[in-house]
Amino acid sequence: MKLNELVQKCELRVITSLPLETDISDAYIGDLLSDVMGNAPSESIWLTVQSHLNILAVATIVGARAIVLCNGLHFEKATISKADETGVVLLESDETTFNLALKLMKCGLKG
Amino acid sequence: MRKANILAERNVDDLLDKLRGLFADITAEDIMIKSVVTLTKDRTMWQAKELMRICKISGVPITDGDNQLEGIVSIEDIIVALEGNYITDPIEKHMTRDLITFSPETNLEMLIERFNRYRYGRFPVVDSNGKLLGIISKKDIIGAVLDKFRLIYVHDTRRREVLEKSVDWFDKSLISGDYVEKTSADFVYHIDYTDIDTAGVGSAKLKSYLKTLTDDDTLIRRVSIACYEAEVNVVIHSGSEGYIFAWYDEDVARVRVEDYGRGIDNVEQAMKEGFSTASDHVRELGFGAGMGLPNMRRYSDKMVVVSEAGKGVVVEMHFYRNGRK
Repeated sequence: MKLNELVQKCELRVITSLPLETDISDAYIGDLLSDVMGNAPSESIWLTVQSHLNILAVATIVGARAIVLCNGLHFEKATISKADETGVVLLESDETTFNLALKLMKCGLKG
Repeated sequence: MRKANILAERNVDDLLDKLRGLFADITAEDIMIKSVVTLTKDRTMWQAKELMRICKISGVPITDGDNQLEGIVSIEDIIVALEGNYITDPIEKHMTRDLITFSPETNLEMLIERFNRYRYGRFPVVDSNGKLLGIISKKDIIGAVLDKFRLIYVHDTRRREVLEKSVDWFDKSLISGDYVEKTSADFVYHIDYTDIDTAGVGSAKLKSYLKTLTDDDTLIRRVSIACYEAEVNVVIHSGSEGYIFAWYDEDVARVRVEDYGRGIDNVEQAMKEGFSTASDHVRELGFGAGMGLPNMRRYSDKMVVVSEAGKGVVVEMHFYRNGRK
């Protein structure tokens, strides 16, 4: 499923100016970086409440294509300015992590 | 085992003696805050409360016009005044007059002993005539001790050079036992432990480097995940700089991450999932889940960790092309 389709259907705010043509096949939820590192699938979208710079390294290494910051939180400035360079798409949502996961599922993301 | 314990105890005693020596020359005069906010006793408890709120302090010394110390109003006094409904009374009626004070020569050991015995948050420092010179809170003591430690650390960095030469696990491969040619590594990254924001950048770089060498995505992912964990450990635990070295050939990727810092007391315990010694601050950032070493073991085919308290950590990992998925 294309990322821009998920962005539209789940009403995600796009923070980066990166293309949204990427295919997303899976998702992962986690706020502990090592847990995400150990278990998140690649080609995935990552739902979290962590917004600091280190999440970019985690997403890059684990192969997550986009990070969604849930609960109406906002990314730190440093993270936003670094994101384009790493190619990781940053998105924000006002939903709770659980509700957003439900929405993603309704959109057809299977996991 | 018993012998080891006795040795360890002796080391601790030695260490304590050394520390005592280092801190023996710190006195109340070195630690105290000299620019003290004071009030006179004709002011009201309400004014004391406002002053404490605005200046973010937890107690105000009360002095006469000649800087002679007469009492203290603490947050506790304010709370009692609020409860007793006499917050508008003059300070004179309610200040604590029975004071424990320090002379400027009081040494650190004595200071700590007083803090423990009397349980006050702050102590005034006065000269032999009872004139207020400064004030000391626990925070000021910690600050002074940390300053001293910083000095020790600078002095101690020289130790590293010796350590690197004398401990041979810094020179030899932990897995093969051969001498490691660090200068021949295909990839070298210097880990800056002072900037937690950059934790993981080295491993992300290693990942893009490996991409230029192979299209085996599973291998690249395994290497960079395991390397990330080792890199983060250096930043959040070692208190020392470190290095990532990596070698790649067709059959195997080898990664070696080393630092020269605190070391691991008990490697076996550290290998357990969920065990972590990380501080609350880094936990809030999502680190310190206790999954670092377990993740490294899970994603590598061979892994050896060697460490000793105070002597740094060396992690060596091998990843085979057709190893685990």
